[in-house]
Amino acid sequence: MSEEKQVKVHVDKVNKSYGDNHVLRDISLDVMANEVVVMIGPSGSGKSTFLRMLNQLEMPNSGLVEVDGYDISDPKTNINKVRENIGMVFQNFNLFNNYTVLENITLAPVQLGKMTKEEADKRGRELLATVGLSDKADVSVNSLSGGQKQRIAIARALAMNPDIMLFDEPTSALDPEMVGDVLDVMKDLAKSGMTMIIVTHEMGFAKQVADRVVFFESGKIQESGTPEEVFNAPKNERLQTFLSKVMQA
Amino acid sequence: MVNQRVKPILVALALFLGLFAFGQRANAAEPNYVISTDATYAPFDFQDKNNEYIGIDQDILKEVAKRNHFTYTLKPMSFNAAAQMVANGQADGIIAGMAITDERKQVYDVSDPYYKTGVAWITKKGSKINSLSELKGKTVALKSGTAASNYGLSLQKKYGFKVKYFNDTDTMYNDVANGNSAATFEDMPVIQYAIKNGLKLEIKNPNNPGNAGAYGFFVKKGQNPQLIADFNKTLKEMKADGTYQKIVDKYLKSDQKTFTGSTEDNKTTWGILKSNKTAFFNGLVETIELTVFAIILASLWGILLGTMGVSQSKFLRGLSNTIIYAFRGLPLMVLAFFIYIGLPGVIGTKIPAFTAGLLTLILNEGAYTGAFVRGGFEAVDRGQMEAAQSLGLPYGKAMSKVIIPQGLKIMVPSFVNQFIITLKDTSILSAIGILELTQTGTLIVARNSQGFRVWAIIGIMYMIVITLLTWLSNWLEKRLNK
Repeated sequence: MSEEKQVKVHVDKVNKSYGDNHVLRDISLDVMANEVVVMIGPSGSGKSTFLRMLNQLEMPNSGLVEVDGYDISDPKTNINKVRENIGMVFQNFNLFNNYTVLENITLAPVQLGKMTKEEADKRGRELLATVGLSDKADVSVNSLSGGQKQRIAIARALAMNPDIMLFDEPTSALDPEMVGDVLDVMKDLAKSGMTMIIVTHEMGFAKQVADRVVFFESGKIQESGTPEEVFNAPKNERLQTFLSKVMQA
Repeated sequence: MVNQRVKPILVALALFLGLFAFGQRANAAEPNYVISTDATYAPFDFQDKNNEYIGIDQDILKEVAKRNHFTYTLKPMSFNAAAQMVANGQADGIIAGMAITDERKQVYDVSDPYYKTGVAWITKKGSKINSLSELKGKTVALKSGTAASNYGLSLQKKYGFKVKYFNDTDTMYNDVANGNSAATFEDMPVIQYAIKNGLKLEIKNPNNPGNAGAYGFFVKKGQNPQLIADFNKTLKEMKADGTYQKIVDKYLKSDQKTFTGSTEDNKTTWGILKSNKTAFFNGLVETIELTVFAIILASLWGILLGTMGVSQSKFLRGLSNTIIYAFRGLPLMVLAFFIYIGLPGVIGTKIPAFTAGLLTLILNEGAYTGAFVRGGFEAVDRGQMEAAQSLGLPYGKAMSKVIIPQGLKIMVPSFVNQFIITLKDTSILSAIGILELTQTGTLIVARNSQGFRVWAIIGIMYMIVITLLTWLSNWLEKRLNK
C-alpha cells in the first residue's frame, strides 16, 4: 500500500455561479496525498472560489466534492468534522483580533477537545518555533507585521494537525520583503510531505515547490501538468498569453 | 443544535410570564378595590407635605371605605389615564373631581352627586381681558379629558380662540400665569383653592359659573354596583351627621399651610429640598430601580435579538427584524399606555404600574439595543467567521468565542449611550403614575406651585445620576478594552 496513491481531494464536474456570473464550469480535479498543487491564473478566473469550495466556505451548485472520503457537496455531511483536517490560510490572515498570538493557535484544539490547555500551549510554542516567532507568543496580534501575521496563521492552521492545507493567495497582501519568510515556511511544509493546494501569483515559488501546476481561466482548468510542462512548454494559447504577461513583470 | 437556539427564547418567555404573574393579586377576606385618582387636583386630590394623598375626595373615599369595611389601593396619575383605567377594568372606580355628564353615563355608572360645581374661566392676574370675546385668536389652555375643558371647547367656535392641551392642572395654570396662554377653563372650587394658595390668576366669572354641574364617583358601567351603593349610602349618612360638611370646611376654610407646609418650606430651594427630602429620595430610588432593572434586562433582551438577527436561520432573523421594527417604531408612551391600560382588558389580569413600566422599557430599549447589537456583529470582519469555521469550530462556538467578544467591544459606546437614554426615558413612565423623579416633581409642584425651583432640583438630580452612570460606563469600557 503506497501512500502516494491515496486520493485526498476528488472533485467531479463542479459548477458554481453567482446569478448570471458562471464562476466555475464543469471542473474536475483529483489531488493525491503528499501532493503540492499550485493553481495559477488571472484574477477572477475562479481559482479562489474553487479552493474555498474544498472546505465548504462556498457551496457548489452542482457536482461532487469529496475531501478525505467525505462528500462535502452533500449538506448533510458534518462539515465541522471534515474541516478539522483541512487547514486554511487566507490572503488577509484573519487572525482573531481578540486573542494573543498563542491563544489564536490554541483556541480551536482546546475548544474542540483535541488537546488540553497545557498540551495545546506546548504544541503552540513548538509551532511558533517552526515559523520563527517564538518571542511573539504573548503579544496582541495587532502589533505584528503582515509577514509575521501570515506565519502565525499558518501555525494556527497546523495546530489542528490537518492532513490537507489550503492557501488562498497567502502572500498577496504582504510587502515584498515579507514574502520570502512566508514562502520559506511553506517550502518546509511541502518538504515535510503535507498535502497542499495553493492559489498564488508567485511563479518562481510555483516552479520550485509544485508537483503539479493547474491553470485556471474563465472558470475552467485550461491546462495542468508539471512545472516544466506548464512553464516551459505551455500548449494552451491563453496560458501562453498569461505567462508572457506575468513573466515580463 | 435546535435546543440551543430555542433555549434563550424559552427563558425570555418564562421571564415575560413571570412578570405577568407578579401582577396577580392575592384575594383578601375584605374586598380590596383599586381606585384611580388625579394626583394634581387640589383641593379634591393632592399630596400634602408628608406626601400623603389628601383632599375632599380622598377624605370622603376613606370614610366610605371605613364605614363599609373594604380596603382600597389608590392609583394617582394624570386624570385622563385615571379615567381610562376604570373604563378598561384596570381600576374598579375613580374619584377625581369628575363631573357628571351624559356622555360619561354611557361608559360609567355614577354615584349620587357629592359636590356642586361649575366652570370658571381664568386669566393671568391683572390681565386686561375681561370678556370671552376678547380671546379671539388667542390661546386657551385646557386639561385633556376634563369636563371643564369640554365646556371651554364648546365655546371655541363662538369666540374663535386656539386650544392647547395639558395633562396636569399645575402645568396648565403656570402656562397661563407665565402668559403663554391667555386663559384657561377650570372647575370653580379647584381654581379658587389654587388662587388662595398663591397662584397669580384671576377668575373672571366668580358669580356666574358656566355649565353648572356636580362631581360624582364613577365605576365601569355594569361593574361594581355594590361599590356605588356603598358610596351613596355613606354619602347620605355623612351629609346627615355633619361629617361631609366637616370635610369640605377642612379644605376650603382652613389655612393652606396646614396641608402644604410653611411658606419658608415652599419658597426657598433649601426649604423645598428639606421638606420634601423623603419624596425626592423615594422618587430617586424608584428612578434608579427602574433604570437598573431596565438596563440589565433590556441589554439581555437586545443581545438575544441582535444574535437572532445574525443567526443562520431565516426564521430567527425574520423574527428579530420584526420585533425590532415594531418596538422601535412605537412611541414609548403609547407602548406604556398599551401595556398598562390596554392589555389588562384583553388578558384579564391587572399589571402593576412598575411591572408595566419595566416591560415597556425592556421592549423599547431592547429593540434599540437589538438593532445596534446586530450592527456590531455585522461590523466584525467576515474573515473572522471564515477563519473560525475553517478550523472546524461550529457556528455557535465561532460566534461565542470570536464574533461576539469582538462585536461587543465595538458596541460599548452604543451601550453607554443606550443606558443614558434608558435613564431619561424612565421619566416618560410618570404618565402611568409611577412615582419616579418626574412624577414626584409633578406632585410637589401641584402642591406648592414652585415650578422653577422644583424642576431645577429634579433636573440636577437627573444630571448627577447620569454623571455617575457615565463614570461607571467609562470605567467598564476601559476594563473591557484592556
